[in-house]
Amino acid sequence: MMALKVMNPGLFTTVQDMGRYGHQAEGFSPAGAMDWRAMMLANRLLGNDEGAAVLEMTLHGASFEVTKDVTIATAGAEMPVAVDGREMKTATVMPLMKGEQISFGGAERGARTYLAVAGGFTVPEVFGSASTHTRSGIGGFGGRTLESGDRLKAAGGNGASGTGRIRVFDDGDDVIRVIPGQQYDRFKENLDTFYGSGYRLTKDCDRMGFRLDGEVIEAAGGHDVLSEPTQLGSIQIPKNGKPIILLNDRQTAGGYARIATVALCDIPKLVQKRQGDTIRFEEIGVDRAAELYKAEIGKIRSDEYFEIDNDFKSHRRPLAGKIESIMKR
Amino acid sequence: MEVRQYAENALTIYMGDDIDEEVNRRLVELKKKIESLDIAGLGEIVISYTSLIIYFDIFKTDAGTIEGKLRDINTDALLEGGFEYRVVEIPVCYGGEYGPDIENFEENGLSADEVIDMHSGKEYLVYMLGFMPGFPYLGGLDEKLHKARLETPRVRIPAGSVGIGGKQTGMYPFESPGGWNLLGRTPVPLYDPGRAEPILYQAGDRIVYRAIDEGEYEDIKAEIEAGRYEVKIESGSDG
Repeated sequence: MMALKVMNPGLFTTVQDMGRYGHQAEGFSPAGAMDWRAMMLANRLLGNDEGAAVLEMTLHGASFEVTKDVTIATAGAEMPVAVDGREMKTATVMPLMKGEQISFGGAERGARTYLAVAGGFTVPEVFGSASTHTRSGIGGFGGRTLESGDRLKAAGGNGASGTGRIRVFDDGDDVIRVIPGQQYDRFKENLDTFYGSGYRLTKDCDRMGFRLDGEVIEAAGGHDVLSEPTQLGSIQIPKNGKPIILLNDRQTAGGYARIATVALCDIPKLVQKRQGDTIRFEEIGVDRAAELYKAEIGKIRSDEYFEIDNDFKSHRRPLAGKIESIMKR
Repeated sequence: MEVRQYAENALTIYMGDDIDEEVNRRLVELKKKIESLDIAGLGEIVISYTSLIIYFDIFKTDAGTIEGKLRDINTDALLEGGFEYRVVEIPVCYGGEYGPDIENFEENGLSADEVIDMHSGKEYLVYMLGFMPGFPYLGGLDEKLHKARLETPRVRIPAGSVGIGGKQTGMYPFESPGGWNLLGRTPVPLYDPGRAEPILYQAGDRIVYRAIDEGEYEDIKAEIEAGRYEVKIESGSDG
């Protein structure tokens, strides 16, 4: 069913899910929601499959006309949202009625907001995934970012009861934990620089990767290697000594020395950073990283991030909205 | 066989340290072997020049379990028995507007016809795929055809372009910027989501370029549009 019509697509809005796995050997980038935790939380608020297709909105959100009654939920970066001009709460469930207009503003904290809809957005799947990879034009909505006039379909369903919201949690520190990478030994003499100095996100930070600026890290034995498969969070150090973190839309093979890999558990924190933010790397072992990741998934699945929202007045319900609009007349 | 771990959900196995046909063959056989073991929670396996990565679901298995299974594999026996691969024929219209850089090989003392003779009709080994979906890293280019990339890369290289960059030859499944010397173009879509196999080759397979003229280029293109064209794929083996 048609659910939302795009009035304004925002800065960079794409359809994403868990990513397109199983075809990296053929060169297909996995793509997928960058902040996997926010995507899962938005879906769980609605009672969706945790990997149902969502919209990922970057820095400045989109505006939509509601073409059918539908329930949505948001998570991730804090973007102000208004329905027919009235400011609404974020990080919670929101029923929308046909004819309403919903618009998201600029992110006040974080970089990426996830918009889930009851049942998930439906787009033709490519290799079993709805994720958009804009560089190859594969997946999602026509393989591209959303444009004005696009009509988005949702699978529908009732969604959850609508009383849950995401507890405010602080993910704001600058520590990103990493696992030693493929060419770690080449950097043994320069680990103090890598771990001891902060690195700043440059303007060249997108779904493909983050280019960082800071103290130059030199490699003994050169910065080039034979092309090898890349991994999510691989930190490459090219000839100029400035780290590049490879992310969801990365090329599947790369030829630069890799000092470390960002731990999966800290990917959500990393991808909510913005240009100018500084991060610090901290080393952990791969077994510890696996434990942390499992613990994080466990926390999401046991709804530890949620709290009951009893604040009736500020919570959106279709009836409350109607009463309010009648009283205004 | 050297097993390493650089991510929570993946193991990397190194089988060599240089671009080498035998290393590639061992990696291809190792991948088949691992896939045949039916390991619970095993994800995809990605081959590169000297290594392969095994992804796994950390909620279903762990690195130690997979390493244990790997130790049972006799890597010395990987090359016993025949090696089977596919030979994929890619028709290419060389020169003209499709291959504007073929004339540049005059600097190497080669006429366009000589370049075509040397580049087509021989098997190139697919070592790995990457850079973009369906982009093959090929081995076997004649040394006389090695040629540095263009000083000023093109902003737009059309999909299907076949070219040479340094010691490598290959082709672009998607439009892209790039600095390769363009020799020609194939009318065959190198990625076709509607085809039974959207990508026609994988690591370990061979590619043969067959020179065609503009007339045949148009004929093949028409056949593809009508859904009648079938890419010629033969099976090869040795060992």
